[in-house]
Amino acid sequence: MNKTFFQNWGSLVYWFLTLIAFAVGVWLVFAVVPTEETMGPIQKIFYLHLPIAFNAFLVCTVTFVCSVGYLWKKQGYWDDLAVASARVAVLLCSIVLLTGMIWGHSAWGVWWTWSPRLTFSLVLWLLYVVYLVIRPSIEEKGRRSLVCAVYGIVAYLDVPLVYLSVRLMPDIHPRSIELAPEMTWVLLYWMLPVVMMTVGLLCEGYSVQRRVSEQQNQTQYATRQTATSIHPTGELT
Amino acid sequence: MKTVLRQLWFLVAKDLQIEARSHQTLGLVTVLGILILVVLGLGLGRQELASGSSATAVLWVAYLFSGVLCFEKTMSVERQDGALAGLMLAPVDWGLLFVAKLIGNLVLLGTLVIIITAAGVLFLGFNVMAGFWPFVIITSLGMLGFAAVGTLFSAAVSSSRLAGGLLALLIFPICLPLVITSIQMLLSVFRDANEIDSSGLAILIAFDCIYLVISWLVFELLLEP
Amino acid sequence: MTVQATTIMPSDTTTDELGTQSIPAIKAIDLCKIIDDRPILNGLTFQIETGKCTALLGANGAGKTTLMHILATLSSPTAGQLNIFGKPITRSSVATRREIGMIGHQSMLYRDLSALENLIFFGRLYSVDKPAVRAMDLLHRVGLADRAPDAVRTFSRGMTQRLSIARALMHHPKLLLADEPFAGLDVPSVLAVEQLLADLVEEGCTVVLSNHDVGRTLQITDHVLVLHHGQVVLDTPSGSITELQITEQMCRGPEGMGST
Repeated sequence: MNKTFFQNWGSLVYWFLTLIAFAVGVWLVFAVVPTEETMGPIQKIFYLHLPIAFNAFLVCTVTFVCSVGYLWKKQGYWDDLAVASARVAVLLCSIVLLTGMIWGHSAWGVWWTWSPRLTFSLVLWLLYVVYLVIRPSIEEKGRRSLVCAVYGIVAYLDVPLVYLSVRLMPDIHPRSIELAPEMTWVLLYWMLPVVMMTVGLLCEGYSVQRRVSEQQNQTQYATRQTATSIHPTGELT
Repeated sequence: MKTVLRQLWFLVAKDLQIEARSHQTLGLVTVLGILILVVLGLGLGRQELASGSSATAVLWVAYLFSGVLCFEKTMSVERQDGALAGLMLAPVDWGLLFVAKLIGNLVLLGTLVIIITAAGVLFLGFNVMAGFWPFVIITSLGMLGFAAVGTLFSAAVSSSRLAGGLLALLIFPICLPLVITSIQMLLSVFRDANEIDSSGLAILIAFDCIYLVISWLVFELLLEP
Repeated sequence: MTVQATTIMPSDTTTDELGTQSIPAIKAIDLCKIIDDRPILNGLTFQIETGKCTALLGANGAGKTTLMHILATLSSPTAGQLNIFGKPITRSSVATRREIGMIGHQSMLYRDLSALENLIFFGRLYSVDKPAVRAMDLLHRVGLADRAPDAVRTFSRGMTQRLSIARALMHHPKLLLADEPFAGLDVPSVLAVEQLLADLVEEGCTVVLSNHDVGRTLQITDHVLVLHHGQVVLDTPSGSITELQITEQMCRGPEGMGST
């Protein structure tokens, strides 16, 4: 009881700090950093876009590591963490896609174009959305974890291949952006709230998932016990 | 080594014998492929098809969908009466079961690709002779990787008593780099009349190597009597 | 879960005195299997003598099929040690699989191939000498010689089961695992299969049999192992125990195990 109270309290403080970090970030972006010349204010979305994209890769790596861990140890908590990280990965990829699309709209006037970068984000998003949507279709828990772990590994190995393959596509993306020194450190600062958010989401997601699968285990075990104990003697003889 | 090759041959021959006996996979799969060609051909209209840039994409859609059905069918043969457990009981390395299934699938997939491409030449006016060898190389490399991923996940899915959509859902996103690369390369060959692109070729080969190895390693984990 | 199985079993010392001439066919020490975080097998320790017919009894869900799969090397135990004919078993014990034949719930046959083709195919996988001759021998033995060229698809349940036994015997296994071989068979087929198993034991094959019919099983086996909630609750020669005692054990098990 006490422990859960402190845990909740702790996570509240954590999220409050994350919020402050975000607020400082927003203040830096709008008050301190100069506006970029060619793109105008819309360029500021870049401070969110890049750190989130970076974190999305990190989270995909977490999914990969957990999948390997599950195949190795066959313990449920690896799978729970893999699911939590895949959820966060999908969320972050969605933000990357959205911010990318907003950027694209202001730069080229269309919401979507098959540019390599956008295609890459889309494929990444698809890969991890599939990870999440196939889970409910597999009934048996051990089987589900196993198939998803294999998928998690295979999907992660796919990422560099996707990256290489989209580069074959015709590109209209601006390659290099000249960064003023303030821009660089504001960008670096933005890593802080984003990483905090990612880690927080991972932990919260993991504990939720852990609780869900523990509950499932208990109910499954209970049904199994009743099923085996009520056995008419007549049937056995 | 010799017994391993013999066992491999028996496993592959058994798959082909069952296929020759029942015709259940190839018939189904080629008809599906041709249907997809017809539907997309009707949708695209004459002008798009004449430009030569859409035919390759249409062909790939047909390969992918009928290929997934093919993987599903060949694995369901093993699952029907628990025959897979019989194979797993035999003194055969379980990785060999993957190789045998892969070869069986590749034979069927090869036949399928030939038939669908011929249908594409007929219905879509696809001029395969404009770059015959590049087409053969790109498509075979593409199909090899596709079959590796497909064989792996067919073992995962068919034991879960799941509907067919799921296998496609697992395979398609993984195969996207294959699709992107192949279609970009085919476009550059057929539309722009270029030589075969070596960096694209490298990606295809890398994909094949990675997925052949990883599928072979992981396959036995997914086997379940 | 550290409840030790309280079993009546031959202690290791006596086996060693006797066991100089024969290694136990199966020796399991503290075998555990955990599926989906719940224990299916819970520290099984037992031994099965070579050349005997041993029954594996237990209510549904007691862990019989899981244990059979582990004995057949189809799945590996989470913990514990398993020796078959003195050799430790791992997931890739290709050589040991040569000694094991198994009859499962499913026929493990290809329904589009004929009876003969099925047997020859499996015989070849085991590198059996002259598989066609051996296959015809076995078809005679299980009484299916006249149906040899017919597809398995057209067989009745009893015929399929007999063919599946022939399949399991193709490579002269020294250990035959039969997981409910009588399920769904009519009386004549049951008798035929029982006779087949008895002949095999006569020839020196070790048979492990799981079944639901306790009374019948006691008559045809030398030894019984009773499982309850993944533990061995009884390990005794068939002659020394009555049907009622076994049924009681199957339903109750050791104290305190019922409510976990």
